[in-house]
Amino acid sequence: MAVDWQLAAFLILSVLEIGGSIMVVTAKKLVHAVFWLALTLVTIGGIYLLFLSEFLFLIQILVYAGAVPVLFLFGIMLTRRKIMEEVTPGEVLEGPGEAPREGLP
Amino acid sequence: MAEFWVNMGPQHPMTHGLWNMKVKIDGETITDAAPEIGYLHRGYEKIMEVREFQKNVVLTDRLCYVSSITWSHAYALACEKMMDITVPPRGQWIRVISLELQRIASHLMWLAAYGPDLGLLTGLLWALRERELFLDLIQLLSGARMNQNFPRIGGVRNDLPPDFDKYCAKITKHFREKLKEYHRLFHESKIFLMRTQGVGRISLADAINWGVTGPNLRACGLDVDLRRLEPYETYEEVDFEPQVWKGGDGGDSYARFMCRFNELEESCRIIEQAIKKVPSGAYRAKAPRRAEGEGFARTEDSRGEALFYVIGDGDDRPYRVKIRSPVFCTMAATPLMLRGNKMADVVSILGSVDVCVGEMDK
Amino acid sequence: MSGALVSPDLFTLCKVLITGIMKIQSDAILAGAPVGSPVEPLRGLAYFLMEDWFLTFNAWMIAITIMVTWAAAIQLLTMMWIERKFYSRLQDRYGIMISIWSLPFWPFSWWAKRRNKPTHRGLGYLQNVADGVKLLQKENITPANADSAMFHTAPVLIASSTVMIFAALPFSEGFVIANMPMSLLFILAAFSLAPLGILIAGWASNNKYTLIGGMRAAAQLMAYEIPLLLAVVALLMYAGSLNVIDIVHKQEALLVMLGPIPIPAWNVFSIPQFIGFAVFLVAIMAEMERIPFDIPEAEAELVEGWLTEYSGMRFGLLFGFKWLRALAGSALVVILYLGGWSGPVFVTLTPAVGATVIPIPIIPHEVWFLLKVYLLFLLFVWVSWSVPRVRIDQILNIGWKRLIPLSLLAILLAAYLAALGPALGGIR
Repeated sequence: MAVDWQLAAFLILSVLEIGGSIMVVTAKKLVHAVFWLALTLVTIGGIYLLFLSEFLFLIQILVYAGAVPVLFLFGIMLTRRKIMEEVTPGEVLEGPGEAPREGLP
Repeated sequence: MAEFWVNMGPQHPMTHGLWNMKVKIDGETITDAAPEIGYLHRGYEKIMEVREFQKNVVLTDRLCYVSSITWSHAYALACEKMMDITVPPRGQWIRVISLELQRIASHLMWLAAYGPDLGLLTGLLWALRERELFLDLIQLLSGARMNQNFPRIGGVRNDLPPDFDKYCAKITKHFREKLKEYHRLFHESKIFLMRTQGVGRISLADAINWGVTGPNLRACGLDVDLRRLEPYETYEEVDFEPQVWKGGDGGDSYARFMCRFNELEESCRIIEQAIKKVPSGAYRAKAPRRAEGEGFARTEDSRGEALFYVIGDGDDRPYRVKIRSPVFCTMAATPLMLRGNKMADVVSILGSVDVCVGEMDK
Repeated sequence: MSGALVSPDLFTLCKVLITGIMKIQSDAILAGAPVGSPVEPLRGLAYFLMEDWFLTFNAWMIAITIMVTWAAAIQLLTMMWIERKFYSRLQDRYGIMISIWSLPFWPFSWWAKRRNKPTHRGLGYLQNVADGVKLLQKENITPANADSAMFHTAPVLIASSTVMIFAALPFSEGFVIANMPMSLLFILAAFSLAPLGILIAGWASNNKYTLIGGMRAAAQLMAYEIPLLLAVVALLMYAGSLNVIDIVHKQEALLVMLGPIPIPAWNVFSIPQFIGFAVFLVAIMAEMERIPFDIPEAEAELVEGWLTEYSGMRFGLLFGFKWLRALAGSALVVILYLGGWSGPVFVTLTPAVGATVIPIPIIPHEVWFLLKVYLLFLLFVWVSWSVPRVRIDQILNIGWKRLIPLSLLAILLAAYLAALGPALGGIR
């Protein structure tokens, strides 16, 4: 039985890519979405590799997998959005401490 | 990111002791700051009321463990004024020597802590290396490296050990050479200047209003050194120069650093002069057990103006003691210095004001 | 030219090795299961063992194992040991001194006591092993409000991308797993994957210090990736190849004879590439997060930066991989600018008068390469323990306003000299 390895790799990559891109749009948390985006971009790079265009693959990894998600995350974190999980009182032993009073220097 | 408060302390590598610096940051810029102190409050002023005058020296030693002698000396001075006794000249000179030795040791501890604050661990080990020598001298003089219990009401605990002048001369000479290494390691480094110049600036008016004293105030350009203004002990017979920032536009971390750093060499000068001038005679006067009245003394501590106000009501223990700690007042002014700077400057600023939590919380 | 120890190729050697082993096993099976015997089906196994794809697969596995053990264990420990020992000496102290006699169990303690050996006065090489063992024993704590999946993914991302570098990073022309045509690009791509992991680690820990540390790391690594790549672009104009082995081979040529000493045509000995070298050195130092640029984990203000919440071996992994990145960075600088593994040949053999001179490789390529890498790393260590760290805005200023213009200048000069150099009398 001859296994078409290229086809198998293509199928796996495609499943990962489609699944990843669906997760990008459905993920609740923006950081998760960016993580799935990175996965999608890497798998696209893998498909480039199947086309034997190694240069494109490496550039894809270098630019899209390495830089673009980081830029996205950076952009998200530069917004005024609250990105930290809020600690609800009682969940941990003590709250984060009362905010300092107004009127301090 | 929305603005949020970051706790720097009470368990944080930045704090040299237990206190919490709450910093509100917008990205990396500090918009507000609030020191939260009291983690180390031991109620000194109250404890001292139940202990005898002479025995309180043990407590004042522990006000600031890196600068024990200066604190105990301030307390002894206040008690002597209350009891109206005069320390013999030899005792006064020994006190000057021990004070300056302690000042160098304390400043070296500050320098050592300032290194890792800025990411320069080598500074820590180099400064502690020389601090060892001065601790050795203090040990020779008083028998202990820490919490020496050396100044006594009426003088000092013991006389100078034999050949002390030779050891002093040797170590100060060695230290002056090592200071050149510090020059190269610290303020001749471009990155060090980038991190300190123009950072944490406080104006002279603000500094005075908030009660900043000592090297931190002199860094703003005001020549206040209690050793010169209100000479205690025999400081008026010593030729030294109070280190004041003269470059104009001071009050930043760099000015504070330079003032303190130059005091190292200045203290060496004082020691070298004082060791030659020590007269013979008694080193301690007899102090009465009970006292009535009030004594007030302020001295130039390593971190600023240390003040003791002691009231006696005829008993053998003080009726009331009031301590003014320089760091306590400086700490109130730190938000002024911090605001508008970057988050990384918190360590550069708080390191340069030389915080000692022991005396701050009393 | 002196030769490499691993020659011609790591993979070929592994193939020979595994073929030999499998041949013995196969022959043994064939001998033990003659045709017609009850165990005859075992002969199928014997043939399977000698199948070419099976041997190739195993050879790759062995090659990868050798490389990872070499780089991520031996070299990592050596780099850490070099750094700790060297900065201790800078700080006027001895540093780590654990030796084999310090081990507190039989037979070492017994032997040390019997021979009256000093227990803590060794070289200290074992200290890092001891630290690793300690970290392995520690509990892995996941913070209560952390994003657990992301929190556990990030170390994998960082560690795997770092190990990936060594798939293409050669230690000599033979000591490399995959000699691919664009290996330089592969190395740089693997290098650039870590910021994503760092940012995710910083965010997933759900801690203010880690978040700020992650942001700082991302900003810094992004900013310094650009001058790094631009300096490489300037270099490519001279090298004309993206293969690191070709780049090294190109540097083995003779530049000029300085009296009796031949000066090789290393890339650093040219005007534009020297600028590129300086830029690359600073940028790779920022990529390694060494001290003047270690603001992402500035312990004075951010506790431990983006790895504050990690504990146990996960922390050890992230912490140790900084040295692996340092190794990869130093190796990259050596390959690109300092002639790689080429070194002087001290002994040559002339078989006959007028015949070709045969060099005798007394010092093999791997040793030259490691020597250069260690010396360069010592330079990094020296710098990082004698200066304070800079601030985030200053670091970005240096990156965007100084290094990028400098690297652009290097590209311009390199293009100019590559085109007109020969006409101008061979200036390079």
